Amino acid sequence: MTGSADDIAFQSAAGLRELIRSKALSPVELVRIYLDRIERFDQQLRAYITVCPDEALEAARRAEAAMARGGELGPLHGVPFAVKDQFDAQGVPTTVGSRILRDAVASEDATVVARLRAAGGILLGKLNLTEFALGGTRDFPYGQPRNPWNLDHDPGGSSSGSGIATAAALCAVSMGEDTGGSVRGPAAWCGVAGIRPTWGRVSRHGVFPLSWSMDAPGPLTRGVEDNALVMSVIAGRDERDRVSSRRPVPNYRAALTGNVRGIRIGLITELVRGADTSPEVRSAVEAAGDVLRRFGAVVEDVSLPLLPMAGAVFMALADSEGSGLHRRWLVSRPGDYDQATRRRLLTASLLPASVYHQAQRARALIREQILDACERHDVLMSPTAPTAAPPIAAGAAAIVSRAEVAGRFFTRRSYASPYSLAGTPALSVPCGFTSSGLPIGLQLAGRPFDESTLFRVGHAYEQATDWHRRRPLQSSGGRLADHPPACS
Amino acid sequence: MRELMPADVRTMAEATGLPMTDDDLAEVTHRLNAFLEALAPLASLALERVEPWPTLPDTP
Repeated sequence: MTGSADDIAFQSAAGLRELIRSKALSPVELVRIYLDRIERFDQQLRAYITVCPDEALEAARRAEAAMARGGELGPLHGVPFAVKDQFDAQGVPTTVGSRILRDAVASEDATVVARLRAAGGILLGKLNLTEFALGGTRDFPYGQPRNPWNLDHDPGGSSSGSGIATAAALCAVSMGEDTGGSVRGPAAWCGVAGIRPTWGRVSRHGVFPLSWSMDAPGPLTRGVEDNALVMSVIAGRDERDRVSSRRPVPNYRAALTGNVRGIRIGLITELVRGADTSPEVRSAVEAAGDVLRRFGAVVEDVSLPLLPMAGAVFMALADSEGSGLHRRWLVSRPGDYDQATRRRLLTASLLPASVYHQAQRARALIREQILDACERHDVLMSPTAPTAAPPIAAGAAAIVSRAEVAGRFFTRRSYASPYSLAGTPALSVPCGFTSSGLPIGLQLAGRPFDESTLFRVGHAYEQATDWHRRRPLQSSGGRLADHPPACS
Repeated sequence: MRELMPADVRTMAEATGLPMTDDDLAEVTHRLNAFLEALAPLASLALERVEPWPTLPDTP
């Protein structure tokens, strides 16, 4: 074994796979390293809902045996991964973060899980999320997920555990699902890379739905190279998801050339310089633009005036789709929902159809603005979120005015959800830290099915900066010891 | 659309068979009014002839 166990845990998946291939590290050792970290840190972080130690160790032994037999190894051979508890894994409950589905054991793997396993990945467990992948949960049935950079702060949602587990190295890579920013938000607030792929690029089969027209599974990783690696494994047509695309899947890692000379980048003025963007976030994103300029990219302002409305449009549409899905339980088991989830679904159930249709038309216009801007720019750049992670307590109180709804829900979603509405890809990468030590996310969005350009730009930026190399929990002994364990 | 009152929201919930406790009612009313207020500016856009396709066709 090379380096300390903690150093190994923070290695990239590509690096771990190489250590395993060269027999410098065994898959069993690696699984034990992550299980040990889960044991040490997850009592407070609450990234996991279900850990599968026996199954993971057994899979690691099989991976070792396969190496002993010789032959070709998969691109993730022996690499431990975890998935948001919205993805089915055979024999394991898919709770979707709810009490209602506490005992819903999956009979087969989601396509994404099956593809990760087929590539040699080892499932460590299932990760915490906001209830039913809606945001704003107040009482988490499986413990309050906490930001590893500051335990009093929100890790983001809905793929909360995916952001935490990846940032804190409680797995090598993770999967989340992004409807309106649920991969990119936790990636930004936890300081990791996360992509929302083009809608239809990755199969949704075996993923509990929220919004049929916007749900998009995507990986969270500690660097862009790993994100490209995982995407190469999971993307592509799946006969069990009728909207999955038949387009060939490119070799995303081949796009990581480090060269961004001549790439045209539009800095979205409404999201970078708007009143809702905090000064620290604005500075970090503008500084990222300067870095890319130095490497030869052409960075210029672009205006997309409808984007500030995207949050409300998104929630009107996504919540309406979700409320239809939940109606049966909403009527028969209302008390089994978290209070905030129930109120959000009830609200969406009562939205007038005329408002829904107007939002649907506004969606088409927002998409048109984004696609027009993509004609002139290869990449659109903005903050992933207007602020760094807020305190958990800020989102825990009941809503007492309509202005609070706009501030707590619509505004933040206007940064990530435009690309959900448009069905286009968007990648979040770390671009700095606030003065209080919380990560800031840079969002790079692009044309449909052009994830390669996002990886190319994100990777080049990463090579010029060290934000993605920083680790949380550095003063973990003190911080975690000071914090009482969360409720179970 | 005018601002909704809690009594309006209760009537809508009853008419559609949805459970609504007194505690839920106040917050759901705020949430509904926030949607109506935030989406009101859409009325000023020329949306009538926009085709509301929810998704993009996959055209390689």
